[in-house]
Amino acid sequence: MSAGWQDYRCDGAYDELFEAPGWPRPAAQSLWAYLQARTPQELAERRLAAQLAIKTMGVTFTVCAEGRNLDRAWPFDIIPRVIPRREWEATARGLRQRATALNHFIQDIYGAQRIVKDKVLPAQVLAESANFRPQCAGVTPRGGVWAHICGSDLVRDADGTLYVLEDNLRVPSGVSYMLENRMVIKRVWPELFETTPILPVDDYPAQLYDLLAALSPRAGEPPTLALLTPGSYNSAYFEHVYLAQQMGLELVEGADLFVGDDDGVYLRTVYGPRRVDVIYRRIDDLFLDPEAFRPDSVLGCPGLLRAWMRGKVALVNAPGAGVADDKVVYAYVPAMIKYYLGEDPILPNVPTFLCLDEKQRAHVLANLDKLVVKPANESGGYGMLIGPRASRAEREEFGARIRAQPRNYIAQPTLSLSTAPTVTDEGIEPRHLDLRPFILSRGDGVYVTTGGLTRVAMVRNSLVVNSSQGGGSKDTWVVDADDAVARAESPGIRAA
Amino acid sequence: MLARVADDLYWLGRYLQRAENTARLVAVNGNLQLDLPRGLRTGWAPLVDIVGAQACFRALYSQAQESEVVRFLMLDERHPGSMLASLSRAREILRSVRGAVPNEMWERLNELYWFVRADGERALSPRGRPEFLARLVDGCLALTGILVCSMSRDLAFQFVRIGANLEQADMTTRIVDVRSTSLIEGVASEQLAPFADIQWMSVLRSLDAYQMYRRHARMRVTGVPVLRFLLQDREFPRSVSFCLQRIDRALLKLPAQRPVTQALARVAALLRDADLEALIRTGLSGFLDEVQIGLGVLHDAIHAAYFRRDANPSDLLRS
Repeated sequence: MSAGWQDYRCDGAYDELFEAPGWPRPAAQSLWAYLQARTPQELAERRLAAQLAIKTMGVTFTVCAEGRNLDRAWPFDIIPRVIPRREWEATARGLRQRATALNHFIQDIYGAQRIVKDKVLPAQVLAESANFRPQCAGVTPRGGVWAHICGSDLVRDADGTLYVLEDNLRVPSGVSYMLENRMVIKRVWPELFETTPILPVDDYPAQLYDLLAALSPRAGEPPTLALLTPGSYNSAYFEHVYLAQQMGLELVEGADLFVGDDDGVYLRTVYGPRRVDVIYRRIDDLFLDPEAFRPDSVLGCPGLLRAWMRGKVALVNAPGAGVADDKVVYAYVPAMIKYYLGEDPILPNVPTFLCLDEKQRAHVLANLDKLVVKPANESGGYGMLIGPRASRAEREEFGARIRAQPRNYIAQPTLSLSTAPTVTDEGIEPRHLDLRPFILSRGDGVYVTTGGLTRVAMVRNSLVVNSSQGGGSKDTWVVDADDAVARAESPGIRAA
Repeated sequence: MLARVADDLYWLGRYLQRAENTARLVAVNGNLQLDLPRGLRTGWAPLVDIVGAQACFRALYSQAQESEVVRFLMLDERHPGSMLASLSRAREILRSVRGAVPNEMWERLNELYWFVRADGERALSPRGRPEFLARLVDGCLALTGILVCSMSRDLAFQFVRIGANLEQADMTTRIVDVRSTSLIEGVASEQLAPFADIQWMSVLRSLDAYQMYRRHARMRVTGVPVLRFLLQDREFPRSVSFCLQRIDRALLKLPAQRPVTQALARVAALLRDADLEALIRTGLSGFLDEVQIGLGVLHDAIHAAYFRRDANPSDLLRS
């Protein structure tokens, strides 16, 4: 073995590529056979080539540090994460089921609220929900779909079980990096695509385009579609530009739009106003429309909610969809699946303690050193307590916060997130990771990306994978394991 | 095309042109100071007058020596017209309109920006300056080159070119104004007379116009013909009339807007009909002020016609 593989240990976590040191999982066999034949120098060269490709392709994300906005090159690891095709198909079924139930739930919440009346969801959860938008009550978007785009985070515990950690229904980001990671890895390891049956990921923009175009309220006319961005200082701006270009959408800011006397939404162009039919908005609800939500917002467009409610424009995701993107509501998703679909959940939730329940709260407060505590409505990995790694003072401070605002906190056992080998400055080492697939819901079906975005905590032993906090990423390969063995024996022949 | 994007592209053209002109201005003034006898040196303060930033300068600096003025014009981001501020704003614009112009521009502009950030202090010493400024000018020309050679003549291109030409017309007018005022007043001064030609040459050089003047004007380098060349020549790309001609051609590709063509026609006629022989005797400043005002009206008209973001939405729908 070369390139430091002999020292690779999995340290008790589930490793995505190895069953045991030196024993690759079946789907990873051809990858490992290839990687272990590479010298450390070769590996370093490919790593450099990947960094160069990322720089040339201009793949960046923006971080705000010391009061300045900095464009950082996207941190990327050249060893892919491998998922067997059969496992992925089951996971995708679970994700479809989940997205379907979530959309039923949102429609119900803004309608009859049967789930509350039937006492499956406590009324208090809704009453204190930060993402419930009373303005949306009574609306039914086309096809009853509110959360057209969902990014669900999956994590794997030591025993190999995949859990859903959270569902991002507001403005989930990361899909452009999933697409770019594949472009980069094709440049880095073109040989591997000959020997490994890796399923493609690149139909996402086409799928999303079809979804958006189908929502146009003006049937029969070629629709005008726009992506609404908060602007170039947003951390996901690269993605906004990328997706707009991939799909041929107008990239607009709030000031580019206005709502006319007819409640139609218009783009301000050099030719004068042009009607826009569908807006893929990457701005949070509260900033969308100063007339309906935060009056101080300059990112949105006055009257946008009114236009949407009158059916003059489609908004993706619909305003208010975030009501299901709340870590307390999350705890009820398995119940929702049963309630709306009459099915058992295919994918489990991470066991979750709700601090608003007195008994569960007592348990949480007594076990702060073992649990991860999260605020109900934060994203990006901010404001959480990782109990086993926190100091006594930090735990006490969190305890006080929980007592003051119990509805605002949930707690989960500290999972030992799965790992995969990662090229670091110290050699090849295990790093913890998660997976964010993207789920597109249309009235007539649900599409799930092939794999998704694998995010890696680049710091040794760290569990924080968010790119805003030093996380990186890997390309995610869904591999036909049965096919892979046969293929490895006959390199150079590519199946159709 | 979105009005905001058109607006951004127009300013992209202006900032790039401004950055290049500023670098040239500083380079030529350095040379001029070396050619003039010590007692007659015009110093550096006139450059601040040229860019019309006296108030801003006085608020930031107590004296107008070489290093202060050069820092102010090149590197001081507190001065919104500085070279670095222009590059930095052009970069911010490119970040959001990257899709509309060739990708290579983004890379080259970044390169140039980081070069100025890293090596900017070199501009402050007379020894390091020429090489530094030459590289800056090269960088700006490369950007213009990419635009001209690799960009379709679409709406986006027209807006960049309108911005660049309007900026050049403005800069040329300012340079002529400040430089010639001191020259014309100096006609009386016998001491200065032997050096008048040197100064007229420096006016031409500031605009990279010396060689073309020699080739096409075929006259001694002196007042009226220099002014004619810089203001009225129809073939030299930095002459005011030439820039206006270019704007006229670009406007043909845009949705027609009467107030814009009228504003353009007015300032073009002003230049065409000017009797420079008479003006040089009575004083040029009043005339150049009129031209500047005309350019300002043209800018406002373009803004109102194509970029109106604040216009009342319902009026837009009815118009």
